[in-house]
Amino acid sequence: MISIADGKTIPTSHKLASMLLLSASTLVASTVAFAQTAEEKGLAIAVEMDQRNEGFVDTTSKMKMILRNRAGNESTRTMRSMVLEVNGDGDKSMTIFDEPADVKGTASLTFSHSTKPDEQWLYLPALKRVKRISSKNKSGPFMGSEFAFEDISSQEVDKYTYKFIGEDTFNGRDVFVVESYPAYKNSGYTRLVSMIDKEEYYPHRIEYYDRKGALLKILVQSDHQKYLDKYWRAGTMEMTNEQTGKSTTLSWDNYEFKTGLSKADFSSKALKRFR
Amino acid sequence: MRMMRFYSTACLLLFTSPGFADELELRGNVALQTELYTANSDHREAMQRSNASVSGEVEFYKGLGDGDRNIVVTPFLRIDQGDRERTHFDFREFLYQQNSDNWELRLGLGKVFWGVAESRNVVDIINQTDAVEGITTNEKLGQPMVHLTRLTEKGDFELFVMPGFRERTLTGSDGRPRPVLPFALGNATYEDSSEESHVDFALRYTNAIEEWDIGISVFQGTSRDPLFRFNQADLTLRPFYYQVQQFGLDLQATLESWLLKLELIQRNGDEIENHAEAVAGFEYSFYSVLETDTDIGIVAEYLYDEMGEDAYHPLQNDILVGIRFALNDEQSTDALIGVISDLDGGAQTFSIEANRRIGSEFKLTLDAVLWTNTSDDEQLDALRNEDYVSATVAWFF
Repeated sequence: MISIADGKTIPTSHKLASMLLLSASTLVASTVAFAQTAEEKGLAIAVEMDQRNEGFVDTTSKMKMILRNRAGNESTRTMRSMVLEVNGDGDKSMTIFDEPADVKGTASLTFSHSTKPDEQWLYLPALKRVKRISSKNKSGPFMGSEFAFEDISSQEVDKYTYKFIGEDTFNGRDVFVVESYPAYKNSGYTRLVSMIDKEEYYPHRIEYYDRKGALLKILVQSDHQKYLDKYWRAGTMEMTNEQTGKSTTLSWDNYEFKTGLSKADFSSKALKRFR
Repeated sequence: MRMMRFYSTACLLLFTSPGFADELELRGNVALQTELYTANSDHREAMQRSNASVSGEVEFYKGLGDGDRNIVVTPFLRIDQGDRERTHFDFREFLYQQNSDNWELRLGLGKVFWGVAESRNVVDIINQTDAVEGITTNEKLGQPMVHLTRLTEKGDFELFVMPGFRERTLTGSDGRPRPVLPFALGNATYEDSSEESHVDFALRYTNAIEEWDIGISVFQGTSRDPLFRFNQADLTLRPFYYQVQQFGLDLQATLESWLLKLELIQRNGDEIENHAEAVAGFEYSFYSVLETDTDIGIVAEYLYDEMGEDAYHPLQNDILVGIRFALNDEQSTDALIGVISDLDGGAQTFSIEANRRIGSEFKLTLDAVLWTNTSDDEQLDALRNEDYVSATVAWFF
């Protein structure tokens, strides 16, 4: 008969942890100075952001999401994440859910790639079942939050084209303003407008424009901290949907780097045994 | 029951003994369930049109200090108002687990899932079905096993040695749904003289290659599916467990919006006709339909048994068509509506399952199943008056 329980669609956190990359984006100003056109300058920023984050090897962290609807009602999700840096390709990541209680123990595994589709598995602990799932759903909400899967996926240079817009200030910090345009299929956005710290080169604020070109969401990142004297990570991310009034606060905790994770920790078998 | 008592004692000893560095971790759920039947049962002794039950499942987990070894114990209990047989206790898991980068060892009562299909997992053979839990659920009894996994770059190789067989749970004469004749409970017969002490073996290879996930398996031992033989002495259906050799293949291709699925088995045995069974189909998903957060999936599967009308189950030449909704909202609301149609007799099984989180700790599940056009199908015709709706509220912790 129909074993419906097998098919529950549990929203997956796939590449949540890889958001780290985005928040740690940095830039070497000298490279920008040599760039000529706005497009070249934008790309140079992205390339440098990517290079600045290289060598983190692996990270583990705890995440707490508070979802707020327009009436102010809140609900909470907590999860843990592990990311393994893969040289020359997208990262491998695993997310284990702790809250809400009915999805406790559910875990997702993602092998992200810059050009071909990501590979993704979901572990359903009640059934002891690992399901291979489609990674096509880029624009869908992550765990019912205002973060879409594509907002929290591994950020690779090739995923976007870029355009340098100008300079500005944000909360007293000098920032570059860069537009980026998704180059991958199935994005929910036509463009992103990012404010990137001119000195430390991590994003402070990102505007997301929907398929019709209207402003959809604004992300503000704060409480940045520097780890291993090199890698910047945001402690708080506030995503506000400008069209619905809903918002989600994502806070990060217990960051650890170079914890000794190996490729073997990112397999469908490992997915079953992580607690 | 003797085995259960042994495990209970062992459980107590393990968790109360000193020397374990890690804290005990707990998670589980307690659920209230009610079923409403649309018609009276054909059987006088069967329960009437409503039933209620309460169930609880708790997973106790304890790491053994170094992070590579742990013990997990998961008792399950259901107390049912109408069916004594559905009031039952089981250890879903009672495992010692040890992991390294290349090896995994699991020792004790375990639960293992094989397969990719939605309607019926023909390759899935390790665990016995906890059939009293319901016909749309996929609950399994804990299986005694030594389970060794070798993890390699070229895929994972698994060995199962299973000393001890679990009989399928069966609805009592006062339970619903039940066949025309009651099951002979606690009175199973076996092909092999060692009966439930027969040692079963299985091997499995799995790998993920690009968009393909593949599993190849072989099983030698006591079939989990009994044949039911008419016992003239007391007019009951007596389960008969035969020896079977089963070769299995399961395959899934994940191609953007398409999931293509295949499960194929060959079953051989002295007491059965050697035959093949298969499930093949797809799931196609539409994401963020009409600019909402809702995903809609279309599921279609063909179910086949080479034995045709003589098959031991009713899904010998059937098609499942289903539609899945995932609202992707804060409450994780989802639903699956499906119909399985028999291409030979025309019998149809309609089913709906819907889930919604309530607050942060509760979940509501609604199930409904109904059968139509069953008159040409002997096995399904027994269910013609068993249409039901059930509601479950579970508290998770």
